[in-house]
Amino acid sequence: MKKTLFLLLFVFAFVTLSKAQMYYEFTLPDIDGNDVSLNKVVEKSNVVMLSFWATWCTPCKEEMKKMADLYEKYKDQGFEYVALNNDNQKSVSKVKSFITAQGYTFTVLMDNDKKVFEGYSGKDEMPYSVLISKKKEIISVHTGFKTGDELMIENEIKTALGIK
Amino acid sequence: MKKFLFVVIFFSFTIAANAQLNLNVKAALNNLLRYGSGSEIVLGNSNPKEYFENVTDARLSVNDIVFGMRYEIDQPIEYGVNFKGIKKRYVEYNNNNVGIDFRAGDFWQIVGRGLSLNTFEDRGQFYDTGIDGVKFAYKKTFGDKKPVKVKGMFLGGRVLFNDYLVPTRVETYDIRSGNFEISPIKNLNFGGNYVYSQGSVPNAFDTTAVKSYIPEGYGTLTIGNFQMFASYAHKQSNTTPNNSYPTPLTAKGDGFYSSISYSMPKIGFTLDYKNYRFDLTAPDYRGNDRPTRMLPFQNPPTAVKEHASTLLSRYPHVVDFNDEVGGQFDVVYAPSDKVTFNLNLASASRHYNYKNIGTGALIVYNRIERSSSYMPSFSDEFSPWYETYVEGEWYASEKLYAKVSYDYQNSVIYDNLNPAASEKQKISTIPSELRYTFIKNYTLKVNFENQFVYNSSKTTKKDFLNELISLSVSKSPDLSATVSYEWTTSDEEPTGKKAWLLGEVSYKLNTTNSVTVSYGTERGGIRCTNGICRYVRPFEGLRLTINSKF
Repeated sequence: MKKTLFLLLFVFAFVTLSKAQMYYEFTLPDIDGNDVSLNKVVEKSNVVMLSFWATWCTPCKEEMKKMADLYEKYKDQGFEYVALNNDNQKSVSKVKSFITAQGYTFTVLMDNDKKVFEGYSGKDEMPYSVLISKKKEIISVHTGFKTGDELMIENEIKTALGIK
Repeated sequence: MKKFLFVVIFFSFTIAANAQLNLNVKAALNNLLRYGSGSEIVLGNSNPKEYFENVTDARLSVNDIVFGMRYEIDQPIEYGVNFKGIKKRYVEYNNNNVGIDFRAGDFWQIVGRGLSLNTFEDRGQFYDTGIDGVKFAYKKTFGDKKPVKVKGMFLGGRVLFNDYLVPTRVETYDIRSGNFEISPIKNLNFGGNYVYSQGSVPNAFDTTAVKSYIPEGYGTLTIGNFQMFASYAHKQSNTTPNNSYPTPLTAKGDGFYSSISYSMPKIGFTLDYKNYRFDLTAPDYRGNDRPTRMLPFQNPPTAVKEHASTLLSRYPHVVDFNDEVGGQFDVVYAPSDKVTFNLNLASASRHYNYKNIGTGALIVYNRIERSSSYMPSFSDEFSPWYETYVEGEWYASEKLYAKVSYDYQNSVIYDNLNPAASEKQKISTIPSELRYTFIKNYTLKVNFENQFVYNSSKTTKKDFLNELISLSVSKSPDLSATVSYEWTTSDEEPTGKKAWLLGEVSYKLNTTNSVTVSYGTERGGIRCTNGICRYVRPFEGLRLTINSKF
């Protein structure tokens, strides 16, 4: 009975409060050990995309390649792409060499205990990305990546940046 | 009572938050529903199989405080033990400005690379070493020009570990851990961790109480393009006498892991070395329920490549953290933004050979010392394993992508009593992928995997072939359909089958809600994730997955 009551109250609370995911502030080290705070990244940008990935995840690498192009295209207009690495202890040693060899210039942060991933409601699937506005509101959430998804993401970035 | 108190606190905050408009209140809800109906093969017999799992994760944040819970219905569960109720719940306070991170309830934690503490959950493997307890962490930076960063953490709680091979066997560990890290200069970071645990480890007859002490030291150094990490942990376990172990056991073991990477534009190298000897034992004492083995809440790096290929993942190298030495060398070379190559060389073996010096039916193993036990051996007596993997990736154009790989693995599972009966296996695998976008948003993907296997333990046909072809059409962003066909020339498949056909359709209702339906036959086999491997039973029937986020 207690559980049923609890569930009903819980569902009610969420129906009234839920805002389709929530902003979660964090400070994480980048691949060189420098601490990066999301609040500071958001303050300096117009729109931020957080993307959770791992070196063993093939669609993650495809998304990253496509997003690297979009980052170069829109960074001067205030678009920031932040790749959060979710490799576990097994493969985390390869992250820096992979990123550097690919010549990526966007920010890569280490979220190896997946705490930030959990903070943004990430489940077992990757890639998982979240688009955040300057007002710290969640514009959209994407689970998985298929060829062609970059067009939809680009449209969302353009809308958020006010580009027609 | 605890649950009730949690509910009261939860809603008190909710109401208080709504009453005071200056509070920032947000909520998020995820739901995962999994249903399967069909049959699975167990020991050659086809048995009906049905499962229904619904996992709801909810979080409510009020300024810097987050309340979370997971409500789970697993009736029946696909793997593991049925459950219905609140499985996880926590309250968290996180303030980056003052550097405080507090959490009470359920959580997971990794320290360093996990030699002394690395708890995680993998539902697919029915693996969860989550801690139910309290964690408090504090970090502070001193100075502006040459900042010195310090970080401390204390945690305590209980780990309930369901054996993934025998799900009803549950080990209990009450753990305490203290951690300290300091970064005196920008490129240097080192720390220490100490874990104390009181465990109850059941076997078929009774339960053994075991106390463990695990100190660990680790450090990271970055100099220009070089990055180095090293970690060492020591473990001592003391058991209390019982019928299974009438004499108290004191087992000492340790583990060392290090990695060096060098990276520059276009090319990166990584060298991993592992030397795990948390519980070196003779071959007749390697049972999974022995209390002196490496504990479930430890999980060091495996230092082997993680594969995405279906056929390759069927033959994983199962790392023995109690007795394994080896490493891997990985190179990423990207000569242009369209082409990437990857080379991975890995090897591992046991540290020592053991010889039976008993007479007649009495087996007494004697360890043969080896001065070079810090390096892997390729001799059969050490159960060696090695792998060579090369991969080429080509983004030919906006529309065309191709990838081809070659993998060779060689392994021996040595039989100390009858070396001629040792299992020797050689596997060559060629996975390939071709992707072509034929109309805007419509992409065709073909995966073809070819595998040649030699296994000395097979009785009829020692050489056989496995092949997989998978055809997938996707329409970005919402639809994808895949048909996979796999066949083998092996005569000793547990299912007795020679071919498997599976169809799968996945549809995204929007960016946060998706439905996946599959129907057909699945071959099953060993599945490994996060260093944990288990046997997945072959399945035939319907599977449905609905994933929602609100």
